[in-house]
Amino acid sequence: MCSEFKIFNATEIWQRETSLPSVPTFSQTLDGVLGNGGIQLGSIYEFLGLPGTGKTQICLQLCASVQIPKELGGLNAEAIYIDTNTNFTKTRFKEILSASLERCRKMLSDRKYDENAALKRLHYVKALGLERFCSLIHMLPDIISERPNVRLIVIDSITFPFKEGVTVKHRTGLLFRLIAEVQKLAMDKRIAVVLTNEMSTRIGLSTGSLVGAFGDAWAHRCNKRILLSAPEPLHKERLAALIKSNNSPETAGKFQITNGGIRDV
Amino acid sequence: MESLHSNINAKLTTNNIKKLAKNRITTIRDFLEEDVERVANILQLGLPCILEIRNNIFEHYSAPLLLGPSLLENYSTKQKFLKTGIISIDTILDGGLPIGFITEICGLAGSGKTQLCLQLSINTVKYSQKVVLYIDTKGDFSANRIQEIIEAQGLSHREMAIIMLKIKVANVFSMPDLLHLLEKIKTKEIVLDNLSLIIIDSLPSLMLQHFGDNNKIGLTFLNQFVNLSREISKEMELCVVCVNIETRWVDIDQTDLDDDYNTNLTVQEPSFLEKKNRCLGKYWCNIPVLVLTLERSLIDKGKDSSNITVSLQNFNNLSDNSKTIFLSINMLGVT
Repeated sequence: MCSEFKIFNATEIWQRETSLPSVPTFSQTLDGVLGNGGIQLGSIYEFLGLPGTGKTQICLQLCASVQIPKELGGLNAEAIYIDTNTNFTKTRFKEILSASLERCRKMLSDRKYDENAALKRLHYVKALGLERFCSLIHMLPDIISERPNVRLIVIDSITFPFKEGVTVKHRTGLLFRLIAEVQKLAMDKRIAVVLTNEMSTRIGLSTGSLVGAFGDAWAHRCNKRILLSAPEPLHKERLAALIKSNNSPETAGKFQITNGGIRDV
Repeated sequence: MESLHSNINAKLTTNNIKKLAKNRITTIRDFLEEDVERVANILQLGLPCILEIRNNIFEHYSAPLLLGPSLLENYSTKQKFLKTGIISIDTILDGGLPIGFITEICGLAGSGKTQLCLQLSINTVKYSQKVVLYIDTKGDFSANRIQEIIEAQGLSHREMAIIMLKIKVANVFSMPDLLHLLEKIKTKEIVLDNLSLIIIDSLPSLMLQHFGDNNKIGLTFLNQFVNLSREISKEMELCVVCVNIETRWVDIDQTDLDDDYNTNLTVQEPSFLEKKNRCLGKYWCNIPVLVLTLERSLIDKGKDSSNITVSLQNFNNLSDNSKTIFLSINMLGVT
């Protein structure tokens, strides 16, 4: 139990906030929608969308973006990818990673791209099943302290572990406890957290029957929620809408998923 | 519990306290619960002595008796409302948020609760030069946004710095921690001069951590929280604002199946009933004295600004009930 309370004043928080860098998405429009020029460290982002709208692609892109060298204003850091759903494909990540770093390399003509070294900077965890997922979250502080250069935690997806083996009632409590732990860690160690969530239907709701999974209570929990949609299926173009944010107005924008990852249209 | 000390009665010397401690009587409560004759035996003192000590304790610790006139005088000299600086809210509430009570702000996700709280913090400092404690349970406090609002209001950097220095922020991630913090404020271990507003954004993200527990520990915490905040708000004459969330339930309107055969054949469009429900359970329902329910209105959505409807539920002044006001959120904050 924490015995000492740190009470900050808003100026100190402001200094901390403005000094926190962001992880860009490689699409300026999407960065603009997110509000702080990308995924800001210390915050929790939730990406919502139907299957095939690009949730996993954005996660993979972010895992690559976090490696942008310092010379280009990047973080030159590492990422943890928590896969709960076997959504991760190594070949696709390799593709995005090399395309993204290739772009950086072009700008810094002298640098040589070492694929193996770059791949080593992604820490992949497969956490199938609720027990493994929960244990992993409890272990996260240790994992992070062994790897101090981690600046991004991706949980893809948060929904999947809770699909079986837990009642709805217990689910909410467990979910909120886990997320509180993750957030504490994220704020202490200045790490960005990205979650993906699925959509579910609630027929008869006045605001439209398609809503994010886990219900209304969960909708409040993350600092920012982004809804993704594919206006035309089988097309590269995607729409992203910020539907909840603590510090920026709600907007929408377009981006596309290319072979090289997330790019502007 | 407070332990025994010599200030209570001269006969409670250090030696005597030690003697009592040997018999596992350390706190005032232990002393009162123990059989008088046994205590007299332990201390080798007469019964009247022990009864005197007991009486001293009662006199010193019992709640004071107040007479009507002094209560009335207290009431009329004290400040009763904290000006929010949002004109429509101040008018409808006869001056602002009630001091000494718990106020609740509730609404669906993204309805502007946090924005309203940030605005309240700024305005409280701006209009009454008081200090605000913002208890942040989900990392939603954005000093950038605060700065943006102050800047949009055209204040100088100096004024901005003064306002921001008076907004205090604490990050709390569990119910026990929250209770700890409030306890320390109560016992003056943490002193914030001129504190006039405590905002908890949000309570459910702590309370829902205990959702589904069979031992009802969450309810215990909530109870303790309510007691503490009531005490602090009365003693220190401040407002406590809690952010609560709303959830929705959808019911299908049941059509009567006893109708005759023919009407059953016609395909009826099912009709749905949407119910909104404040979180935190039935116990909490009647705790706040004032409930502000925010709802985003979908009509008249201008660029870069969104309108919210605030409906009021005041349990102290029933004539205020079901009044509504309209606020808009934009770059300038909430107005």
